[in-house]
Amino acid sequence: MSLDLAKVAAQVGRMVTRLKDSRQERQERLQHALGVLGDEAFDLGALKEKIAASKTTWLVAGLVDRLAARYQASPTPAEFSVLAADGSHIDVDRHRSTRCYLINIGSVILRYGAEPDAILESFPQLYSDDEDLVIAHPGAKGREQPVEGALLGIKRAVEECRHLAQLAATQPPDSTSLALLDGSLILWGLEAYPEFVTEALLDRGFIRYLEEAKRLSSDRRLALASYISFPRSTDVVNVLRVAICPYQPADCDRNCPPGKARECDALAGVQDRELFLNLLEPGERSALFISPSKIVKHYGEHQVYFFYLRVDDEIARVEVPRWVAEDKDLLELTHALVLDQCRRGHGYPVALTEAHEQAVVTAADKEEFWQLVESLCLEEKLPIPTSAKSFSKRMRWV
Amino acid sequence: MTELKDRVGEVIEASTTDFVAQAYELYQLPPLGSLVKTRDEPVELYGIVYHATTGSLEPGRRPIARGRDEVAEEEIYRSSPQLLKLLKSEFSALVVGHREGDKLYHYLPPKPARIHGFVYQCRPEEVREFSQSFDFLNILVNTRLPVSMEEVVAAVLRQMSQAHEDPHAFLVAAGKELAILLSGQFSQLKAILGRL
Repeated sequence: MSLDLAKVAAQVGRMVTRLKDSRQERQERLQHALGVLGDEAFDLGALKEKIAASKTTWLVAGLVDRLAARYQASPTPAEFSVLAADGSHIDVDRHRSTRCYLINIGSVILRYGAEPDAILESFPQLYSDDEDLVIAHPGAKGREQPVEGALLGIKRAVEECRHLAQLAATQPPDSTSLALLDGSLILWGLEAYPEFVTEALLDRGFIRYLEEAKRLSSDRRLALASYISFPRSTDVVNVLRVAICPYQPADCDRNCPPGKARECDALAGVQDRELFLNLLEPGERSALFISPSKIVKHYGEHQVYFFYLRVDDEIARVEVPRWVAEDKDLLELTHALVLDQCRRGHGYPVALTEAHEQAVVTAADKEEFWQLVESLCLEEKLPIPTSAKSFSKRMRWV
Repeated sequence: MTELKDRVGEVIEASTTDFVAQAYELYQLPPLGSLVKTRDEPVELYGIVYHATTGSLEPGRRPIARGRDEVAEEEIYRSSPQLLKLLKSEFSALVVGHREGDKLYHYLPPKPARIHGFVYQCRPEEVREFSQSFDFLNILVNTRLPVSMEEVVAAVLRQMSQAHEDPHAFLVAAGKELAILLSGQFSQLKAILGRL
């Protein structure tokens, strides 16, 4: 039986009515937030100190320059390349006899200038060895975390970064290029896992490849960034919450126990992207901010900074490691090339679109993959027991 | 002898009567009516290009208009270099004969072409040799094609005549052959002759 939309329609109607009713209030909150953001009376130094001393229940962005600063894009260089890697995967299926997973990385090099060129490739990799299927604690025998579900998603992000560093290495010295990833540079999903998992995937994985990119940037003009379309983050709005908090310093748990009305709730529900859609003109980027996630302590010199970028009618969040953020030339290059990519790609970086197209694994691909696995097992006369649940889903009877 | 530079594409679909080949370079298609060949050792299959298309590599991704703000068409490809990798040109060839050893046959070979078989554009001397006989016209005239038969036959004869020392004499001889083949179809014969 498919979803009975008639039964859902009334519920959708109620949801839309509720959204409509709250629109006015949201608009007022947004205007309030914009007023706070544009308030030139703020002493940036004092606000930084207040943020550092505050204990909030939400994450607050670190400040670098004026909150309401905005910058126009510099012109794109005559010759440059954009590199991108994106991935998709087939997860471990516990209802199948064979325990394995597959990561498919799509990689793209787009060269612009006198000799335009494009290299579009995909790299599928099957993982079935014991050391691939679990991340084991190096010291304590038996402590291990299976690589599946959300953790496989994180492992995929590590692989994307590894491929991106490899692409960067193919660029000649003295070349100009931007290496792009889709999504966040912060593998915040690792916060839910034990420390040895973070060490394996982040310290000995993602960070190592960021390090590789940084090393390569010493003899070529190479910037690295990640692009988040339609971000839902509130890191900057949370800065404003601290700014208007009447307590010095803010301490949510002590000063505002649950149930108590809070001054900062006047900004509740406002997202950073709404704020910057009102502040920035098309093509402009916001001030730099420092990402506040707990996991960033692992990032060291690759500490994640971000800015918002207005592309036509959308706000995107662009994250960069510290070595890009602190290099004015690389930061401006990132801004100019991300914007240029969005304009070429009708609002979304064309290199990321093509990397995704190379990587995508459809539902039909997944089914064919499992059939291939099973047919090769059959050829070798290996037993392929499958679960009754899996069988009942595939063979639907009345 | 065929050389690498004569290689124009690769077979991606094949049947007894025709084969479809993907061109190695976008838009680098053999002309309508030209003679091409592919090998399935020890047989060489000859085909006449009767149709060609250029479009997206993936069926689900249609090209969109991109040039509103560009001055010249080339600029579209310069500003989106990936396009050349996402589009493909294909051509279809009707099998009109084959060669086994030294012998040339102007009728269908025993087996269709091989998938991934290289497709070569035939050189003038080979075209000349193949068109010593007009027997292949019978296949062309009697096959239902997506392009009108008159267009394809006229294109073939125009192409082939260029390989002959006396193109005019070749066309006159071909016209006589067609007059016999299409003896009851005067309007078709007229349409072909009008295109030569």
